[in-house]
Amino acid sequence: MLGVILVLLIVPLAASLACALLPGPAKVGPAVTGTCGVASFGLVLALVPAAAHHDLSYLSYLRVDALSAIFLLATAFLYGAVGVYSIGYVRHHGRGDHYARRFYAGLNLFAWAMLAAPLMNSLALLWIAVEVTTIISALLVAIEDTDAAAEAAWKYVLIASAGLGLGLLATVFAYFAGSQVLGEHYNLAIQPLILAGPHLAATPVRLAFLLALLGYGTKVGFFPVHTWLPDAHSEAPTPVSALLSGSLLAVSFYAILRFYQFTAAALGSGFPRDALLAFGVASLLLAALYVFGQRDVKRLLAYSSVEHMGILAVGVSFGAPVALAGVMLHVLAHAAAKGNAFMGAGVLTVKYGTKEISTMRGVLDLLPWSGPLFMLAIFALSAMPPSGIFRSEFQIVYGGLAAGHNVAAAVLVVLVTVAFFGLTTASTHILFTPAPRSLSAAAAGPSDPGEPSAWMVVPVVAGIAALFILGLHPPGQLIDLISRAVTQLGAVR
Amino acid sequence: MDPVQAAPGVYEGAANVIAAGMLLIEFGMLRQALARDQIRLYMAQSALLSVLAVVIAADRNLPELYALAALSAALKVVAVPLVMRRLLGRTDPDEGEEAPGVAGSHTLSPASAVLAGIVLAAYGFFCAGALGIHSPDAPVLALALAAAMVLVAFGLMIVRRDVASQAIGFFTLENAISLAALVVASGLPLILETAFLFDLLVAVVVFGVLIRAHHARAESLSTADLTRLRG
Amino acid sequence: MSAALPIPVIQLLQVLTVALAAPGITGVIAKVEARLQGRRGPRVLQPYYDLAKLFRKEALAPEKVSWFFLAAPLIAVTAYLTIPLLIPVLTSYGLPLGYMGDILGGGFLLSLASFVVATAALETGSPYAQLGSSRAKTFSAITEPVVLFVVFTVALLTGTDLPYALAATVRSSAGQVIRPAHLLAAAALFMVILHETGRIPVETHTGTNEFGMIEEARAFEHSGPYFALLKWGSELKQLILFTILADVFLAPWGLASTQQLGAVILAIAALLAKACAVGCAVAVIDNSFAKLRLFKITEYVSAAFLIAVLGVFTLYLGGG
Repeated sequence: MLGVILVLLIVPLAASLACALLPGPAKVGPAVTGTCGVASFGLVLALVPAAAHHDLSYLSYLRVDALSAIFLLATAFLYGAVGVYSIGYVRHHGRGDHYARRFYAGLNLFAWAMLAAPLMNSLALLWIAVEVTTIISALLVAIEDTDAAAEAAWKYVLIASAGLGLGLLATVFAYFAGSQVLGEHYNLAIQPLILAGPHLAATPVRLAFLLALLGYGTKVGFFPVHTWLPDAHSEAPTPVSALLSGSLLAVSFYAILRFYQFTAAALGSGFPRDALLAFGVASLLLAALYVFGQRDVKRLLAYSSVEHMGILAVGVSFGAPVALAGVMLHVLAHAAAKGNAFMGAGVLTVKYGTKEISTMRGVLDLLPWSGPLFMLAIFALSAMPPSGIFRSEFQIVYGGLAAGHNVAAAVLVVLVTVAFFGLTTASTHILFTPAPRSLSAAAAGPSDPGEPSAWMVVPVVAGIAALFILGLHPPGQLIDLISRAVTQLGAVR
Repeated sequence: MDPVQAAPGVYEGAANVIAAGMLLIEFGMLRQALARDQIRLYMAQSALLSVLAVVIAADRNLPELYALAALSAALKVVAVPLVMRRLLGRTDPDEGEEAPGVAGSHTLSPASAVLAGIVLAAYGFFCAGALGIHSPDAPVLALALAAAMVLVAFGLMIVRRDVASQAIGFFTLENAISLAALVVASGLPLILETAFLFDLLVAVVVFGVLIRAHHARAESLSTADLTRLRG
Repeated sequence: MSAALPIPVIQLLQVLTVALAAPGITGVIAKVEARLQGRRGPRVLQPYYDLAKLFRKEALAPEKVSWFFLAAPLIAVTAYLTIPLLIPVLTSYGLPLGYMGDILGGGFLLSLASFVVATAALETGSPYAQLGSSRAKTFSAITEPVVLFVVFTVALLTGTDLPYALAATVRSSAGQVIRPAHLLAAAALFMVILHETGRIPVETHTGTNEFGMIEEARAFEHSGPYFALLKWGSELKQLILFTILADVFLAPWGLASTQQLGAVILAIAALLAKACAVGCAVAVIDNSFAKLRLFKITEYVSAAFLIAVLGVFTLYLGGG
C-alpha cells in the first residue's frame, strides 16, 4: 500500500510539472490531466478495501485511516471528473496556450495538495498542505484575468490566509497541550495526541479547538467567515470551482474533524459538539436566506455549498453513529452532486456566454444531455431521493432525533427545505422557461441545440451515476469504510 | 491582585520586553502612510523576533532555536522585504519609488486607530491572561502580548484600504503567531518550523503576484473600488 | 571629610541645588546642541546672565489684568521649589518633609504651576498668549493621564506611592531594571518630558515660531522680573523632570545613603552629571528630528499614552 500512496502523491505533482514545462500545452495539458485524474481515482479506490479494515501508516509522516480515505475518495473522484471535463472546457473557453499552460499546471498542483492533506500524519503538515491549497487556488481564481476575478482572488487569499493564521495558532496550542504529556519534541502526530487525550490540559485543548473551528472554518465557509466563498467560487473557472466546492471545503472540514477527535478525547464530546452546532446552524441559516435572489448561477451554487457545510457541522454535532455515518456519506455525495452541478453550470456558461440566470432559458431544449443532467444535479443537491444526498441527510436527521436533539433536527429540516425552494426557483427558470422565439438573433442568445462538447457531458453522467449508486446501494466496502470512520470519530450516544 | 510583585528573571524580563517592543511596532504600523516605511517596520519586527528566539534558546538550552533564529532572520528580515520592495517598486517606475494608492488609504486617523488598537490589545491581553495557561516555560505575559498583537494586526488589516498595507498587515499577523509559537511551542521540531517559514515565503510570492494583478487592472493599489461582487 | 550634616540642611540643599543648577542645565543643553550643529554656541552660564539682566528690567503689565497676572509667576516658582522636597534629589532615604506628598502630590504641583501660568496668560487677552495656553491645555488633556499611568506603574511596582521606594526597588537587582513595566514607564515619562519642556518634536526651543509656539507663548505678556521668574520656573521644571526620570526610574545610583558631607557633595555632582546626560540625549533628539505639525502632536501624545497603558497592563499578569 505504501507504493500506492507514494504513486498517488507523485502522479499529480508530475502531471503539474509536465503541463508547466512541456511544449504544446493545449495538447499535453488535457491528455496528462485527464489520465492522471482518472488514475488517481483508481489508486484511491485501490486503497479503500485496505483502509476499511485497518489503518495504514508509513514513514512516520504518512497515514491513511478510514476517515482520511473518505476525504481522499471525494477529492480523487472530483479530480478525475474535472480532469476529463476540463478537456472540453478549456477548448471551448478559447483563451490560448498561455492560459492553458497555467490552468493545467495549477489544476494538477491544486489536486496534489488536496490529496496530500488527508495523507499527512502531523497537524503541522496538515496545516502546510491546506495553506498550499489556499495559495494555489487563489492563483487559479485570478486566472480569468477580469476585474471581478482579481477582486475575488484578493478577498479569498487575504481572508483565507488570515483564517489559516488562526489555524496555525490552533496548531501551536495543540502542540502546547501535547508537549506537556508527550514530551518537548512532540511532532504533532495525530494518533498519539488522541490516545493521550484524557491527560491533556483542558484550557489549551479548548482554545485549540475554537481557534481551529474559526480558522479552518474560514476555509470551510462557516458563517461569519464565509464572505470570500461566493466570490471565489463564482469567479474561478468552472473546473476549479467544482474542485473548490466539492473537495477543498471538505478537506478543510477534515482538518476540523482531526481537531474534533482529540478534543473529544480530552474534554468529552459535549463542548466541541456545541461549538459545531452553533457554526453549523448559523451557516445553514445564512445560506438558506441568501440562496434566494441570486442572479449568478455559480454564486447560487456557492451558497449551496455553504449550506451543505453547515449540514456537515450539524451532523457531527448530533453525535449518534447514524448521524456520523450520514456525515461521511454526505461528504462523498456532496462532492459528486456539487461537482455535477458546477460542471453543468459550466456547460451553461459556455453555451450562453454569461453566468446570469436571467439570460439562460430553454436549456432543456437547447442542451439535450446537459439540461436534464443539470436538472438531476440540482434536484440531487436539494436532497431529492434517490440521490446519495437524500440518503445522507436522512441519516443525519434520523441520528439527530435518535440522540434527542429534536429541536436542532427540526431546524435542520426547515432550513434545508428553505434552501431547496431557493435552488429550485432559480433552476426552474433556467430549465423550464422556453427559449424566446424572437426574430433578432442577437437578443435570443444561442438558438442552436447541441452540446458544446462531449468531454463535458461524460463526467457529469459518471457523477450522476455515482450519486445514484450512493443513494440506492452503496458498495459493501464503502459501508465498511464509513462504519470504521464513524468509530474513529468516536460516536457517542 | 498583589501590588508588590517580584521582578521576573533577567531572561524572562528580556523576553517580555522584546514582546512588548514587537507590539509597539505593530502600533507603529498603524501610523505609517508609506509602503516602504511599513516594510522597514516589518523588518524591525522580524529582527526582534529573531532576537527573542536567541534569548529563548539561551534560556532553555535549545540549540535548534539558534538555527531557527538565523533562518527566520534571513527569510523575514532580508528575503521577504526584498521581494515586497521589488513587487511594490516595480508597479510604477515612472512615478518614482512610491506605490500609488497606499498613502491616503486610512479609514481612521492614526490617533483614533491607536486608541482603537489599545482597546483591541486590552481585550486580547486580558482574555489571554484569563485563560490561565500556566507552565514553567511559557511566560504568560509574552503570550498575552502575542494575543494582543494578533488582534491589533487584524485591526491593521481592517483599517487600511490598499492591498499593499493589507498584505504587510497579514505578514505582521504571521509574526504575531510566530511570537506565540516561540513562547508556547519552542520545542517544535526544527523541520516543521522550517517548513512554516518556507511556506510563508511562497505565500509572499503569491500575494505579490496578486498585488501586481490588481495594480495592473486598477492602476492603483487601493481597494476602495472593489465593490463589484456583493450579495 | 566626615562631618555629618543635619537633616534640615540636607533638605535645604536639595532645594538650593535644584534652584541654582536649573539655568545651568539649560545652558549645557544649548551648548551641546550648538556643538552638534557645528557652531561654538553661547557660554554655558549664559542663562544666569539672562536672568540677572531680566531682574534689572522694568516690569510692565497689560491694562486690564488683575493681581493674578502678577502673582502667577510667584505661585509657579513656589510650586516648583516645593517639589524637590518630595522627590529623591540627593538622598536615597526619605527626608522628613518628603512625606508631605508622594509622587502624586508632585504631579499635582507640576499641574498647578502649569495651570496658574496658563490662566494668567489667558487673562491678558493677547492672541499669542491665549493661543499658547489653549494648546498647552489641550495637549495636557492627554499627557496628564500619561503621568497618572506612570504613577500607577510606580504604585503597582512598589506598593506605595513614594518615589524613594521605587528608587530602592530599581536599585535592588538587574531584573528590576529590565522589566517591561519599568522600561515602558520610563519611555512614556521621557516622551512627556519632551512635551512638557517644549522640545522637539513638540516645539522648537530656539527662536519663536508663532504658529508652533506652545510653552513659549504663555510667557509672552510678562516682562521684567516676572518674565525672569517664568523663565526660571520653566528651567526648574525641566530640571525637576530630569531628576525624576534619572533618580527614580533610569539611574537611581549615586544618591547619598548617609548624612556625611562627602556623600552629599558626591550626590550633588552625580545629580548634575545625570541631568546633563539626559540633557545631551534631549539635544541629540533636537538635532535629529523635525518638529511635528500641530495636529500630529496628538499622534505623539497618544503614542506616549499607549506606552504608559501598556506598562500598566504588563503588570497585571505577572512577569511584567
